[in-house]
Amino acid sequence: MQKSYDIAILGGGPGGYVAAIRAGQLGLKTVLIDKDNLGGICLNWGCIPTKSLLKNAEMYDAMKNHSADFGISVQSLSFDFGKIIKRSRDISDRITKNVELLIKKNKVDRIRGFGKLVSKNQIDIFDGDKKTESINAEKIIIATGARPKTFPSIPVDHKNVITSTEAMNLPAQPKDLIVIGAGAIGVEFAYFYDVLGTKVTIIEMLENILPIEDKEISETLEKSFKKRGIDIYTSTKVEKAEVKGNQVFVTIEKDGKKVELKAEKVLSAIGVTGNVEGFGLEELGIEIEKGHIKVDKQNYQTNVSGVYAVGDVIGAPWLAHVASAEGIHCVETIKGLNPHPVDYSSIPGCTYCQPQVASIGLTEKKARDAGYELKIGKFPFMASGKAFAAGERDGFVKIIFDAKYGELLGAHIIGNEATELIAEIGIAKSMEATYEAIVKTVHAHPTLSESIMEAAANAYGESIHI
Amino acid sequence: MKVEIVMPQMGESITEGTLIKWHKKKGDAVKKDEIIYEISTDKVDTEIPSPENGVLVDIKVFEQETVKVGTVVAVLETNGEAKISSAEKKEEEIPSTTQVGGEIIDIPMPKMGESVMEGTIIKWHKKVGDKVGRDEIIFEISTDKVDTEVPSPVEGTLVEILHQENETVAVGVSVAKISTSGGIVKPKPEVGKDQELASLDASRSGQDYEPASPSGGQVHELKVKTQRPVASNRFYSPLVLNIARTEGISMSELETIPGNGIGGRLSKNDLLSYIQRNKTGAPAITKSEKISGEPRKIVSGQRSEIIPMDNNRQRVMHHMLNSRDTSVHVTAVIEVDMTRIHNFIEKNREAFAAEGIKLTYMPFVSFAAIKGLKEFHLMNASIDGNSIVLKKYINLGIAVAVEPNGLIVPNIKNADEKNIRGLAKSIADISNRARTKKLVPDDVADGTFSITNYGVFGSLFGTPIINQPEVAILGVGTVTKKPVVIEVNGADSLSIRPMMYLSLSHDHRLVDGMLGGKFLKFVKEVLENFDTSLV
Repeated sequence: MQKSYDIAILGGGPGGYVAAIRAGQLGLKTVLIDKDNLGGICLNWGCIPTKSLLKNAEMYDAMKNHSADFGISVQSLSFDFGKIIKRSRDISDRITKNVELLIKKNKVDRIRGFGKLVSKNQIDIFDGDKKTESINAEKIIIATGARPKTFPSIPVDHKNVITSTEAMNLPAQPKDLIVIGAGAIGVEFAYFYDVLGTKVTIIEMLENILPIEDKEISETLEKSFKKRGIDIYTSTKVEKAEVKGNQVFVTIEKDGKKVELKAEKVLSAIGVTGNVEGFGLEELGIEIEKGHIKVDKQNYQTNVSGVYAVGDVIGAPWLAHVASAEGIHCVETIKGLNPHPVDYSSIPGCTYCQPQVASIGLTEKKARDAGYELKIGKFPFMASGKAFAAGERDGFVKIIFDAKYGELLGAHIIGNEATELIAEIGIAKSMEATYEAIVKTVHAHPTLSESIMEAAANAYGESIHI
Repeated sequence: MKVEIVMPQMGESITEGTLIKWHKKKGDAVKKDEIIYEISTDKVDTEIPSPENGVLVDIKVFEQETVKVGTVVAVLETNGEAKISSAEKKEEEIPSTTQVGGEIIDIPMPKMGESVMEGTIIKWHKKVGDKVGRDEIIFEISTDKVDTEVPSPVEGTLVEILHQENETVAVGVSVAKISTSGGIVKPKPEVGKDQELASLDASRSGQDYEPASPSGGQVHELKVKTQRPVASNRFYSPLVLNIARTEGISMSELETIPGNGIGGRLSKNDLLSYIQRNKTGAPAITKSEKISGEPRKIVSGQRSEIIPMDNNRQRVMHHMLNSRDTSVHVTAVIEVDMTRIHNFIEKNREAFAAEGIKLTYMPFVSFAAIKGLKEFHLMNASIDGNSIVLKKYINLGIAVAVEPNGLIVPNIKNADEKNIRGLAKSIADISNRARTKKLVPDDVADGTFSITNYGVFGSLFGTPIINQPEVAILGVGTVTKKPVVIEVNGADSLSIRPMMYLSLSHDHRLVDGMLGGKFLKFVKEVLENFDTSLV
């Protein structure tokens, strides 16, 4: 017998499973379909396992390079690469099981299988080639996510030329590693492997590493990475990558000159592309643009009425928290709650290497290009008592205001705990606070968050500690 | 501290309000947020809460008196606590007007017709410092429709001319300011006209006028406007306040701008687009209809009693006349077998009541009508000249009777996004707010199709009048059990069924019999085959 649902959700990542829970809360009869463990890339092969690896790296880094500063001596410090990887896999396993429980608790049906859209109201479920069942749904939400993008000139063989998926699950630590693409994924792995002692080289086509961040931030991170001994080639094109024996040879072009680099592994981290193939989108006539589903961002409906899409599969900014926000908004719209739209100008972005990088809103350049007159405030962690005490004095907070109306246009933080600090700016920005609201809010002392207050004050010449 | 309580601005196009009832009298103590009076405007009626704790020390406007927005209606003494909050100080620092011993009234470029966006000032009959009587002509304007003279709405002194002769100004933009009482403005002595203007400009940017008594000499104490918004406790973000300050938008004007931010807040984008709209002189969203403000006399005799119409009644009267004169009304009727829905309601009434939902036929009829509107787009339209305006959203109007003798049609915004539960809740919400005078102008603006339920009074069917500028209205008759002939296995038999008449009045200018009939039949089929499992 064919089961009928109010909503069927295809894909159990942070877009899909969050949408499913919200739908369950709202009393909609909901089914969540995914062939793998719930949690998607984020919980299985992204955010969570990599943060677990990076914690290992941070601890090892501190013990190896900074213990003496704290009067602690460590003898015969060592690590077990296999155990580091295993810890991250265990964490991922446990957290995805928790998601399964949450789904059950919210009375959402869970189907393990590959879902294919047959019509705008029907999904067939497959186990391999075998059709196992078919369900009916009034509304369908596609949340199939994205996967690492590949280029023919850098042929991924998942052994020597790898993507992030393999990079977090290697059987042994590579002696050397070339990272192609210096976005968040690229620089996080570069930091991780560098700390463990792998010789790391980063190649980035654009002018700076973390090219979407504020230039000052990128340049600061670049200096820090170079100090660690990471080789960085920016404004550099990769001509080709070839596997010969157990080595990968990468030909790059820098300032018109060709250079050949080689390493045991090459990580291709040049972006992601939507999972839009093979489950009936084309047959249904759903509009796809540059590898992603086109939707109306007011309600996330595709060009086919009743079929919606959220998360990475609809394109930039490819962030888990955005997928979840879109999933919730989509379900609430279907339910008729008339929710407030997702504010794409206030999306925080975080990179978890050390020093951490976090930002929200416009960079200085983008703000100037948009024609704003700016008031910019900066505060270095060097002047923060808490950062001093913690021995984490690198980095700074930079806040950008519009001079005319005082709007908080953007904030950029590099340093210890930057990714936790950015939340304050998120609230301030979405509630349309001005510098005064931040400065007149009493911040606890001593904390790193005081630096945000100080940076906002600095924009108006009122900073106390610099 | 004395706080002035003014006639609040209830909507962009609303310029005056009638004070219909005082809940407090002079000398009464009032609490913050306690209702002090009720007003009626040409859109909605509402109750006005007190902005502060205090004692009502003066009442300046009587019941049934109609006054301009911004007029002081009462004065509140706030327990002698003359503490001025920092927020108030802020306000004082933005004197878009300087008060000279009385209330400053903005004189806007009047709206001369629906399609008139701007007017040109052709002559000033008064100059700064002149006294003006109520209804005395102050300036002449020319628009693309008519030329006309503009009278003063109040008695007072012309304190500022913001636009000169031959300047073209968008409708609603302030062209002059009149001080209603107290001192007069004496321009800086012995200056030419240009300098005089310059000094007025300077005063706008923060300097004070130098007032004097009519005989000259004695200088009155200056009072800066500390009027607080009394209509609501609306929250404004720091950014919105900054923009308002920079762009010279007063608190009372801010109150009138609809908010689309989180929780209905006025967001940066709302304010910036409002400013943009005013700059380009695009028309206001809401349509205003001027109701005659003539004084009403009450004369009662032995054989008859003459009762003045309240504002709501007048509004209904004008809307009905206007609709009759605008649309070509025709009405079609269809009979609907409500068995399925009747049974569903009987079975689930209590379960829904437990959720706080009173289950009636209305949400089902609304749901079916919305489905019909999605199928037949022309039903969800209006006429603009020789064009058809197809609405891509459905704001469903629900006619609500308002005691003692009124009617209002608030609408459910984006009704097509709601299910039965949502519709039931929305219908209950707007009906309750209509009856308790809690509607805001937005609630009655921008409807696309309406439903009227005369069935609650037992009527079988009626011929409703269209709610302009919509093109159709659905009338819902009472559901009664009737013997009907039904066919079972090819044989006719009599059955007792709950039956209902639906009548559709449609505007024959746009909707012909075929479309009206198809729509009705579609609605009937949705209702008769209603899939109650979806509820």
